[in-house]
Amino acid sequence: MTRARRDPRSERAAAARPGLTRPRFELFARESGRRPRRNPRSETLAQQVEGPSRLRLDRAQTGRAAAALAPERAEPAAAPAPTTIVVEAPAFLVAVVPDLAGGRLSLHDRQLFDAARTLAGADGGVIALVGTEGAEFGPAGADRTARVAAPEGYDPDARAAAIAAAMAALDLRHVIFPETPDGGDLARRVAVLAGEPLFADVEMVAAATLMRPARGRRVEQRAAPARLITLAADAVAPYAGAPREARDEPLDTFAAPASAILSAERIPADPARTPLGLADFVVSAGAGVTDFDAFRATAAALGGTPGASRVLCDAGLMPREAQVGASGTVLSATCYLALGIAGAPQHLQGIAGCDHVVAVNTDLHAAMVERAGLAIVQDAQAVMPALIAELAREREASA
Amino acid sequence: MKVVVLLSAGRHPVSGLGALPRLEAQAIRLGAALGPMRGLHAGPDAEAVAEALGRGLSEIDHVALGAGADPVPALAAALRAAAPDVVLAGRRGQGGDETGLVPYALARALGATLIPDVIAARPGSEPGVIEVEQALPKGAARRLVVRSPVVLTVHSAAPEPRPYAFGQVRRGRIEPLAVSAPEEPAAVAIAEKPYRARPKMMRGAPAGGSAADRLKAATGGGEAVQADVMVSPEPREAARAILAYLRQVGVLPPPARAG
Ligand SMILES: Cc1cc2nc3c(=O)[nH]c(=O)nc-3n(C[C@H](O)[C@H](O)[C@H](O)COP(=O)(O)OP(=O)(O)OC[C@H]3O[C@@H](n4cnc5c(N)ncnc54)[C@H](O)[C@@H]3O)c2cc1C
Repeated sequence: MTRARRDPRSERAAAARPGLTRPRFELFARESGRRPRRNPRSETLAQQVEGPSRLRLDRAQTGRAAAALAPERAEPAAAPAPTTIVVEAPAFLVAVVPDLAGGRLSLHDRQLFDAARTLAGADGGVIALVGTEGAEFGPAGADRTARVAAPEGYDPDARAAAIAAAMAALDLRHVIFPETPDGGDLARRVAVLAGEPLFADVEMVAAATLMRPARGRRVEQRAAPARLITLAADAVAPYAGAPREARDEPLDTFAAPASAILSAERIPADPARTPLGLADFVVSAGAGVTDFDAFRATAAALGGTPGASRVLCDAGLMPREAQVGASGTVLSATCYLALGIAGAPQHLQGIAGCDHVVAVNTDLHAAMVERAGLAIVQDAQAVMPALIAELAREREASA
Repeated sequence: MKVVVLLSAGRHPVSGLGALPRLEAQAIRLGAALGPMRGLHAGPDAEAVAEALGRGLSEIDHVALGAGADPVPALAAALRAAAPDVVLAGRRGQGGDETGLVPYALARALGATLIPDVIAARPGSEPGVIEVEQALPKGAARRLVVRSPVVLTVHSAAPEPRPYAFGQVRRGRIEPLAVSAPEEPAAVAIAEKPYRARPKMMRGAPAGGSAADRLKAATGGGEAVQADVMVSPEPREAARAILAYLRQVGVLPPPARAG
């Protein structure tokens, strides 16, 4: 088939604007049906400001000119208030098993919901399989929640059996776990118990393919989504859509098999012995600290792992293992208390992952003060005894 | 207490050359404290695990397998014959498929209890019972008393591996072991291509935020916007503010209630 032949002469005649002395043409009318063509001349005309004799243009008003030019387009509806999305009868279910460390959804847990949403597509529903009440799963992206029996104490095999039972009862198409010590362990137990394939440590999630690294990150493996999946941290963004209803899905209670674990006892971290990289709370000294007995007493009283800046480690005042920073240890702590540390870039690199920083420094303009959530501009030698005294006073008041 | 250490033909994470995974070297050290210990390897090449001899093992059983074959049936058959009380393994292979499923599949095949992330193990107070310590995040631990048989996977916080000794490699023996394991159908090959690093999610970066927001999130200091600065406070006042802040972020337990 050949393209319809254009007749430029008659097209031009059709675009002629009548009633003018000089022949003029409305050439842009021809473009209807395509993307509107910009006419800089008429845009400038539309930007003219009425009033003073001098020509003035309001360049910020590009919107009006474009609107004048563009053919009527469907007005975008005003953003509706976020209403709860309800999936009445999902065609299939994709389950998420969050870790819920401390009863709260971590960032990694929230990312699971987004991955599940991708796999569920438009027809499927996302169901959270949880052991405890409490956290809000609707805003996190769950259409349903089901309570799987949470065994008392530490019994991962019973949890795995409960999840495998839920998998069969609810006919789950996929189950997604976080690739954390706990979640990864649970996923593998469920995989061998149910005899299902596991696609571990997934770094990319699309509706039809998953990708995981293998052979020491030399190759990546791609496959259609397996039934069991563990998701690496920070591979996808957390679910950011409108809240969902998180309706309760009834699940039969499940009798846990007898366990070979006779007793389990949690030993809290000993801050003095914890390796710096694992510690949750680090109390660190810099060149501004001269009273080391007070520093050690402060760290012990606060229950923090002692750290130091490089200056102190080089001078032999603190052990090398205590050095925080680019050439020392990179922390994963929640909170960092910096006593007399200036905050050199090499030091700040070590604490980039810390959520909260408290700085005590005599210099208001130190980089550490800028980085801190709470900054005290005061002599560290005065603040450290005050901290110990305050803790002692509290203990006395409660005794 | 009879101990078997599972050895894999690992690859060094940086150089890609054959090397004993560090976790397995640590497992050898953990197992030495428990009782007589043997190594077990299933794979095409026995020499791949010779390094384990230098880390303190004196004998290794080698089950010959074709390259790429699933080692689980062969290992399960060998372990059923040996009937150890404790099987030690790394948490995940290194340089292979790295799914970390082998210890779990073996524990299921043997009817053993699997305890992950072990940092210490000792015989329990009564026979047939073993006491293990398990690493938890943030330096905490869990002490478990478990009835054997157990499969333990080792955590990197376990004691350092023993130094490598060349003489022990010369003295140690790798013995071929014949097992009758059912032939498994070869697993479906998964499409592979060279790894391409992808951008990671940035923690704390607002969705749709500007480049400046993302830079701020990447270098830390997101909270410094509403920073609380106290200039020359009384030391006591400063101490109170610090304690209140530490309690608010949850790293310091609240003061014990009077009572
Ligand atoms: C290649 C390289 C790698 C490095 N790696 C690291 C690293 O890994 N870790 C690291 O820490 N450093 C590292 N450094 C060193 C870094 O550049 C800084 O020199 C060092 O961090 C400064 O330590 P500081 O803040 O304790 O000391 P200073 O810079 O001397 O700062 C002391 C601070 O204490 C304050 N102060 C003084 N007296 C008091 C007082 N009485 N009360 C309260 N505050 C007081 C001062 O105002 C000042 O802000 C590295 C440097 C190089 C070149």
